[in-house]
Amino acid sequence: MDMLLQILFSGIALGMIYAVIAFGYQLTFATSGTLNFGQGEALAIGALIGLSVVDRIGNYWLTIPVVLLAGAIYGIGVERLGVRPALKAKSEGWIMATIALGIIMKNIAENIWGRDDLKFPSPVSEAPLHLFGASVLPMEIIVIVGALALMLAVELFNRKSIYGKAIAATAADREAAGLMGINTGQVITFSYALSCAAAAFAGILIAPLTLTGASMGAALGLKAFAVAIIGGLTSGLGVIIGGLILGLAETFTGFYLSTGYKDVPGLVLLLLVLAFKPAGLFGKTAIKKV
Amino acid sequence: MLTIDNLHAGYGCVDVLHGISFSVPKASVVCLIGSNGAGKTTTMRAISGMIKPSRGAVLLDGQDITGFDAYRICRRGLAHSPEGRRIFANLSVTDNLLLGAFPRFTGNRSKGDVQGDLEQAMELFPRLRERRQQLAGTLSGGEQQMLAMARALMLNPGMILLDEPSMGLAPILVEEVFRIIADLRQRGVTMLLVEQFAAAALSVSDYGYVLENGRISVHGPAEQLRDDPAVHAAYLGCGH
Ligand SMILES: Nc1ncnc2c1ncn2[C@@H]1O[C@H](COP(=O)(O)OP(=O)(O)OP(=O)(O)O)[C@@H](O)[C@H]1O
Ligand SMILES: [Mg+2]
Repeated sequence: MDMLLQILFSGIALGMIYAVIAFGYQLTFATSGTLNFGQGEALAIGALIGLSVVDRIGNYWLTIPVVLLAGAIYGIGVERLGVRPALKAKSEGWIMATIALGIIMKNIAENIWGRDDLKFPSPVSEAPLHLFGASVLPMEIIVIVGALALMLAVELFNRKSIYGKAIAATAADREAAGLMGINTGQVITFSYALSCAAAAFAGILIAPLTLTGASMGAALGLKAFAVAIIGGLTSGLGVIIGGLILGLAETFTGFYLSTGYKDVPGLVLLLLVLAFKPAGLFGKTAIKKV
Repeated sequence: MLTIDNLHAGYGCVDVLHGISFSVPKASVVCLIGSNGAGKTTTMRAISGMIKPSRGAVLLDGQDITGFDAYRICRRGLAHSPEGRRIFANLSVTDNLLLGAFPRFTGNRSKGDVQGDLEQAMELFPRLRERRQQLAGTLSGGEQQMLAMARALMLNPGMILLDEPSMGLAPILVEEVFRIIADLRQRGVTMLLVEQFAAAALSVSDYGYVLENGRISVHGPAEQLRDDPAVHAAYLGCGH
């Protein structure tokens, strides 16, 4: 029973990381119908920059604004260089462009931080807490709370502020949004900034629980894509459920079968969902067939 | 004051408008009449920046806005209630109205009393008040049309384009819409109006232009057009 609760907590924490990255996929898909396939790299950049800042100033919490900013800048770069030209040409070139920019970013990161995995110091005690009879890592609680807080903050902004409504308007009808005086190009850039900032934030959330390095994001980004598909690219709540399903499936597989198989459920889930329900379980609109 | 000079515009490389010129003086109402496909909607789209004119000029209050993006033209005070309503179906009625005032929130237009204008819009269209929390997509077609019009008014515009505001409305609501247009005219709102009910449109307008295959064929003061036998036969005949 103890063990079960413990795995449950780890699974939820992992699921929340997937949810945040998938949430990022949703943000850009809503405004522009495009996705940043370099989300995983944005996560790695966030973790690595966070690591460097922690090394210098020794305070984990103060790295958060720096990392969010770095993610936002990366997102703006991706949108300007890879997405905007494709949108203008009405082509699907953004797919290759965002992948390519991700690879370039990874190479740059390898040159700066090296190819070896690094240890990210935990901001809280690494001794497990005893909660409901289970031992839980304090960092796992921070991951869950942090991820939920981020998604909640963005949702509140989207629903309550006039800028959030402008994002919804752009998502619903770009041309009509333009007639409202909304600079829809800027809204798309902003959604990329937000999306990558979320991924970078996920990077410093997960870094203390895992190893930090330039390639840490690749598998996470791909599996979060599966979560975004499961959760639906248009429904906010779906990614949390999708993330939890995957996070729990992985930790249980890792524990009861073998850690070697822990990536399998996510990828199988992706294949299944793509085969049977291409619009996602919770989403409304179908993904455009490429 | 809106001035159109030798406007050519269309879709792809094909022009639909072949050099039209007219103007809408400040505080006046001008209507465009023409049969289906004559280019009325295209004219409005070219003015508000939804499509780029291929030739000619559009001047708003004497300033050249030709080829500007729609959002920049809106920020200069030109509101466009487009054909087909184009309301944001998955946002509430209130949110739709607030979005109409977007440039007033961002400082691109003077803010004034947005809340007061929201009240006023709901006064003008009481059905919108009853349904203000509802998603706009759940409104009836006629209610959506009112929402599109009210949303355009929320800009506090210097100039407003109305493309078939009575489309899909029951006769009693059509009368209501024309009453509102007459009311706005009384208040000195500058308007360019496209309407299928040509006679009613002319009765609330100061001046009219008849568009035929992308060219202006006849124009004149509204009363004069109403009495023009050719116009009468073609556009004001039975049923109008
Ligand atoms: N999006 C488009 N792409 C290509 N051609 C178009 C498009 N919209 C309109 N047209 C063409 O342009 C011409 C003028 O259309 P427009 O919509 O301006 O007519 P209208 O005068 O508004 O007609 P209606 O009274 O039916 O609304 C038509 O021949 C139409 O086929
Ligand atoms: Mg039309």
